[in-house]
Amino acid sequence: MRKFLGNKAAILLFTLPALLLYTVIVFYPILQTFYRSTFEWDGLSEGTFIFLDNYIRLFQDSIFYTSLYNGLVFAAILAFVQIGIGTVLAFAVAEGFRGSKILRISYFIPVVLSITVVCQLWLAMYNSEYGLINKVFEALGISYRQDWLTDSKTAIFAIAFVNAWQYMGYQFALLLAAVKSVPEQYLEAARIDGASKFKAHLKITIPMLAETYKFCLVLAITGGLNAFANMFIMTGGGPGNSTYTLTYLMYRSAFRVGEFGYGSAAAAFLVIECLIVTLAINKLIARERITF
Amino acid sequence: MNGIWKLRNKNPLLGILLWVYAGLSVYPLLWMIFYSLKNNNEIFVTNPFGLPTHFRFENYVDAWSKFNVPAYFTNSVLVAVATVIGTIVLSVTFSYAVARMQWRLKETARIYVVIGMFIPVQVIMIPLAILVRDFHLANTYWALIVPYIAFNISFSSMVFYGFFRSIPVELEESACMDGASIYRTFYTIILPIIKPAMATMVIFVFLSSWNEFTMALILITKESLKTLPLGLLFFQGQFTTNWGAMGAAMTIASLPTVLVYVLFSEQVEKAMTVGSAVKG
Repeated sequence: MRKFLGNKAAILLFTLPALLLYTVIVFYPILQTFYRSTFEWDGLSEGTFIFLDNYIRLFQDSIFYTSLYNGLVFAAILAFVQIGIGTVLAFAVAEGFRGSKILRISYFIPVVLSITVVCQLWLAMYNSEYGLINKVFEALGISYRQDWLTDSKTAIFAIAFVNAWQYMGYQFALLLAAVKSVPEQYLEAARIDGASKFKAHLKITIPMLAETYKFCLVLAITGGLNAFANMFIMTGGGPGNSTYTLTYLMYRSAFRVGEFGYGSAAAAFLVIECLIVTLAINKLIARERITF
Repeated sequence: MNGIWKLRNKNPLLGILLWVYAGLSVYPLLWMIFYSLKNNNEIFVTNPFGLPTHFRFENYVDAWSKFNVPAYFTNSVLVAVATVIGTIVLSVTFSYAVARMQWRLKETARIYVVIGMFIPVQVIMIPLAILVRDFHLANTYWALIVPYIAFNISFSSMVFYGFFRSIPVELEESACMDGASIYRTFYTIILPIIKPAMATMVIFVFLSSWNEFTMALILITKESLKTLPLGLLFFQGQFTTNWGAMGAAMTIASLPTVLVYVLFSEQVEKAMTVGSAVKG
């Protein structure tokens, strides 16, 4: 038996292809991102080592601060909208309303759409002349009109909302699964003690979901900081630079201007930013693990 | 939850809220399908919100025949199918070796691969583009298939690992007694057992590769190799005079994923929640 499950040749055959591919395509590039961020590099030649100059330049770039701010706005909107709405809907659906299966499927459908389709749809809906949203105001008899995407103040919010809308269903599904896994007797005990339903959820269910909330928050915030496709498709970073994010800055630097080293520095900064956020969330939420 | 409590607290207001959000969630998609069957005049002026008055299927004919939709569709199918096969084969074998076989570094190997779940595509885009160029994969199907497989390995290995751990060891023991080789045991005994997990991952990997946008944007520039998410990007400009056809193209692109999800909704959601539970 030992020999059977310890078959060296079989282990190699089973693990090597996956390990090799993963190492070359996923793991090695992340090291390269850090290494190349210390070079002035056009992506073709060897480049020259300039140590931290790319980072110094990054910190002096006004677009960097716009990008940083936008990433945080994006993350905050995703976290509030997705987790807020997701929580309310998950608790309600867990009650077992009539048609809860249809509800679940409806909430999740935007998740399976291509981001291009979703962005094109919302581009049409946001359009100032014939867009659906302004048409709704018109139909309601309100004379309010807004150029959602061409106004540099509203653009980033409008884009972030699209992403929040599309992936809310994902967070909802995670939260619903977690809510359903909370043992009933805890809530029953609270009920016997005379707690209202709302209070019981607040004091019992939500704390028990701490691990899930941690995961959802990390997902929303890193998703926001890394946002790229939405602005690429909807505004191209504009108007002006008002909808740049760090990933967009990286994309522009590397693939449009040919400054691969500078782009790598932006990417490396992003990795560090996401790491800090993840660690902070882990530290702040549920220091003591709740055991059943 | 407790039955009596449930009944008394079934708040009608909450019910309305649930259905209103369902409407917000689905209506944009319905609106797209509606306008794929309308002409410009109906979309903009006479009937922007509701059902089409008569169905203009010629929009679908236009989208399919005048633009590159069939080519994009074929590319998406090819890339997604190859990605699904590659990912499943590599991650089933890998996670089997890690979960069931006995070797010293198995835990290290498992964690090493799980880390990949935390690496966003965006931050390795630059080195990845260079790698694909250096391997002379640029502007071939492999430019997408290889990275898609590599990126899906982490998640699906983790899901398979969870399944493998729940199978009793006696299976291999008895196979070993009967004199079967490890390969034979794996193929004829283990694989059939984890079929449900494989079905789940097939759906999941298909959805993610069908819709992938960022890598496709960086790694594919040749028109004839573009996948649907990339091809659709340039429709806005091309179709300014024919919105109905654009809606039709977008509907065609969405149909496979929406169908797969509606048919297999439980498996899709299960796959994702397994991920979060293991991670937590």
